[in-house]
Amino acid sequence: MEAVIEVIDLVKEYTIAKKGRGLRGSLKSLLFPQKTKVNGVDGISFSIAPGEIVGYIGPNGAGKSTTIKMLTGILHPTSGSIKVCGISPQADRKAVVGKLGVVFGQRTQLYWDLRLGESFELLRRIYQVDKATYEENMAVLGDVLKLNDFIDTPVRQLSLGQRMRGDLAAAMLHSPSVLFLDEPTIGLDADAKHAIRDFIKEMNRKMGLTVILTTHDLDDVEQLCSRLVVVNHGKVVEDGPIDSIIGKLTPHRLLVVELERPCDDLSHPAATIIKQEGLKVWYQFEKVRVTAAELISDLSQKLPIQDLSVKEPDIEDAIRAVYKGY
Amino acid sequence: MLASFKHYVSVASCFAKLAVQRQLEYPLFLVSWLLMIPIQYFSGIWMLKIIVDRFQPLNGWDFPELTFLYGLGLISHGILVVFFINTWHIDNMVINGGFDRLLLRPMNVFFQLVASYVNFIGLIDCIPGIVIFLYGCHIVGFDWSLANIGKLLLVLLGGVLIRAALFIALGTIAFWTKRNASMVGFALSMLERATMYPLSMYPYILQAIFTFLIPIGFISFYPAAEFLGKSNGVLELPLSFALWTPTIGIVCFLLAHWVFRMGMKKYESAGS
Amino acid sequence: MLQAYWYITKMKLLTNLAYRFEVFASVGTNLILMLASVFLWQTAYKGGVGTVQSFSLQDLTTYTILSIMLGAMFVCDVQDTIYYKIREGQIVTDFYRPIPLLACYLADDIGGMLSAMANRVVPLILLASIFFGIPWPSSALSLLLFFPSCLLSYAILWLLSALVGLVAFWVMELGNMGMVKDSIVRVLSGSIVPLWFFPESVQTISKFLPFQYTYQTPLGIYIGNVGTKEALGAMAIQALWVGLLFLLLMAGWKRTKKKTLIQGG
Repeated sequence: MEAVIEVIDLVKEYTIAKKGRGLRGSLKSLLFPQKTKVNGVDGISFSIAPGEIVGYIGPNGAGKSTTIKMLTGILHPTSGSIKVCGISPQADRKAVVGKLGVVFGQRTQLYWDLRLGESFELLRRIYQVDKATYEENMAVLGDVLKLNDFIDTPVRQLSLGQRMRGDLAAAMLHSPSVLFLDEPTIGLDADAKHAIRDFIKEMNRKMGLTVILTTHDLDDVEQLCSRLVVVNHGKVVEDGPIDSIIGKLTPHRLLVVELERPCDDLSHPAATIIKQEGLKVWYQFEKVRVTAAELISDLSQKLPIQDLSVKEPDIEDAIRAVYKGY
Repeated sequence: MLASFKHYVSVASCFAKLAVQRQLEYPLFLVSWLLMIPIQYFSGIWMLKIIVDRFQPLNGWDFPELTFLYGLGLISHGILVVFFINTWHIDNMVINGGFDRLLLRPMNVFFQLVASYVNFIGLIDCIPGIVIFLYGCHIVGFDWSLANIGKLLLVLLGGVLIRAALFIALGTIAFWTKRNASMVGFALSMLERATMYPLSMYPYILQAIFTFLIPIGFISFYPAAEFLGKSNGVLELPLSFALWTPTIGIVCFLLAHWVFRMGMKKYESAGS
Repeated sequence: MLQAYWYITKMKLLTNLAYRFEVFASVGTNLILMLASVFLWQTAYKGGVGTVQSFSLQDLTTYTILSIMLGAMFVCDVQDTIYYKIREGQIVTDFYRPIPLLACYLADDIGGMLSAMANRVVPLILLASIFFGIPWPSSALSLLLFFPSCLLSYAILWLLSALVGLVAFWVMELGNMGMVKDSIVRVLSGSIVPLWFFPESVQTISKFLPFQYTYQTPLGIYIGNVGTKEALGAMAIQALWVGLLFLLLMAGWKRTKKKTLIQGG
C-alpha cells in the first residue's frame, strides 16, 4: 500500500549560543557571543502505512519533537525529503496540515477563558467543515470522549483529563487522516489515560486513522502501538514491531529458582547466576543459546527445586537499553 | 477566490467575537487602563500648552495647530492598538514557539497573527485621541467638507499601515536574533515623538530619516501641515499627502509582510 | 545577613547583563526621549529668547539629560514584583522565607539599579555629551548636594512603588495600578517639564504632594536653580516624605501580611 508518511534522510541543524559563567562570562557573551552547530536530527528515514499506530520514542533531546515539527510543516529541514499524503509539507503547508490533527500534551489549543464549544466553532470555520458534517463528527467524538458533560464549561475550569479530551476532539474535528500526538497522557490519572487510549484505538479501527505518538509512558506504547520507531541522538536506532525490538534489544531472560535446601553446585554452562538470596537463585540466559525448557530440565536434574518462574524482559528494559547509550 | 475570501472573513469575524468575549471575562481589569491612558495623553498635550504659553509657538506651530497634529497622530496610534496589537508580540512568539499552532492550520499565518486578536481595549487609546483631535479641529476651524473627510480617512488608513509595517519589521528581527528584542517600547516612543510633535523641530538629518528611511513623517506631520495650509518646511510633493500617505503605507506594509515571510522560513519553534 | 542581600543584588546584576538586546533597546528608547525633549527645548528657545523665568537653554538641556538618566537608573520593579507574586499566589510561600521580604525586593532593585548604571547610564551620558556637550553641574557644591538628594528621591519612589504594590492585595481585579501611578509621577515630578513652568495653582498643590521631590528637587539642585539653604530645606522635606511613606508602608505591610497568612493567599 502507498505510504502515508515517507521520510528520507532527514537532517535538522541547530545553532546554539554558548553562555559564559560568572560576571566575566556574562560580559564576554554580551560582547562576543559564541555559537556552535549541532544536528538535532541526523539522517532519519522511515515510512508509515495507512492505519498504522506508530510509537515514536526516545529520551529527551533525542530529536522526537523536532521530527514531528518537520513532518507537520512547522520546521523546515536542513536537508532530506518528507512526503505526507504524497505532498511535501514544506512545499504546500496548507494542503498538508488540512489532513493532519495535532495534539501537544503540554500545550492546549483551546481558549482558556471561553467555554469549550467556542473553540470548536472557531476550528470548524478554520477547517471549513460544513454544519452537517460538523454535527455528525461531533456526535461521534462527543460519544466516545463524553464531551457533552463539559462542552459548556470554560476551559480553565476543566480537569486535565477533560481538557485533553477537548484537545483530542479539537484535533479530530475536521476528520484528519493522520493524527500526531505529542505526550498525550502526560500528567493524567489512570482513568483519563484509559479513556484517551480507548479513543485512539476506536478512531484507528473505525476510520483507519494513522497515528504517530511520542510518549514517555510505556503503557501507552504497549497498549496502542503495533510498531515502534526508537530514536536516540538524532538517529533511528530501532524500527519494527514491539516484540522483535524487545527481543533484539534485550536478548536476556531470567529464570528465578527457589530451592528446597542449600546446594553447592548451582552452575549451568549456558546461564549465568546474577543474584543469590537465601534459597532463591536468579539465572540469566540467552534465548538463542538455550530454551527455558532445556534450562529447567537440566537444573531440575541436579537441584531440588521447590518453585520457579521465568521473567520475560518488557518494553521498559528494552527502552532502558536504548537510553543507556545502546 | 470568492470562496477563499468568504472563508477568511468568516474566520476573522469568529476570531473577533472570541477576542471580545475573552476580554469581557475580566471587565475590572480595564480600570487601570481607563485611568492611565487618558492621564498619559491629556497630560502630554497639557505640557505642550504649558511650553507654548511660557515660551512661543514651536517652529510656527501654535497651540491649536499642535492639538490638531497631536490628535491626528494619536488616533492612528489608537487604531493600530485595536487592530494590530499582535504585531507587538512577534518576538515573543518567535522565542516561545507561538507560531506552531498557527502553522498547523490551513490558513495564512500572517492573517492568523493579526486577526486572532482584536484588542477592543485599544479603544481606550482612541478616546483621548478623538477628543483631542476634535478639540483641535474646533480651535483651528477645520472645514468638515466631504473632500476633507475623505482625505482624513485616507491619511488614517495610510498612517496605520505605516505604523503596522514598522512593528512587523521590528518584531521580525527576532527570527534571526532568536532573542526577545523588546523593541516595542523603543518604537512606541519614537513614533510618539515623531508623529505627535512637529517633525520640523528636529535637525535635518532626523527629518530626512523620518521621511525617506522610516517614513514616519507621512503618518501625521505632512498631512497635518497640508490640512492646516502650512508649509512643512521640508518636503514639497506634487498631489496631496492624502494620496501619498496611503500609497507609502501600502508599500511599507507589503515590504514588511515580505520580510515577515522571509523570517518565517527561519522559524525554529523553540520553547518546548 | 547582609551577605544574603548582596547575593540577591549580584544575581540581579548578572541576569540583567545577560540581556544584551534589552539593554540596547532601553538605551535607544531613553536616547530618543532625551533627544526629543532637548530638541523641544531648543525649539522653544529659538530666535534669541535668552532666559525664561531665569532658565537658560543650557539649564533645561542639562535638566532634561539628567532627568532621563535618573529615569533609567531608578529601578522600582517592586510594584510589579508584588503584583505578579500575588497574582500567581506565590507571595504566601515568600512570607515564610527567613529574611524580610521587602528587604529582598529592595536588594533586587538595587541590583537592577547597579546594572542600569553600568549598561544604561554610562552609554547615555556618553551619547548626551557627544550630542550636547557634557552636562556640568552648576557648582561643586551643587554636585555634592545632588547625590544625597538623589538617594532620598529613590527612597521616595521606591516606597511609593511598594505602597502601590500593596494595593494589589486589596483590589487584585483592577489590574496593575502601578502604571497609573507611573503616569502621574511622570507629570507631577517635573521629570519632563519642570513644575516651575506649570500654572501657579498646580505648583501650590504640588508642594503638598511627594512627587516633585523625586525628580525636580535633585535636578533643581544640580542646575543651581536653588540656593544652598533652600536645597537643604528641600532635602529635609524629602526626608520627611521618606519617613512618612516608610511608616505608611510598614503599617500597610503588617496588615496585608496578617490578612494573607490568615486567608492562606
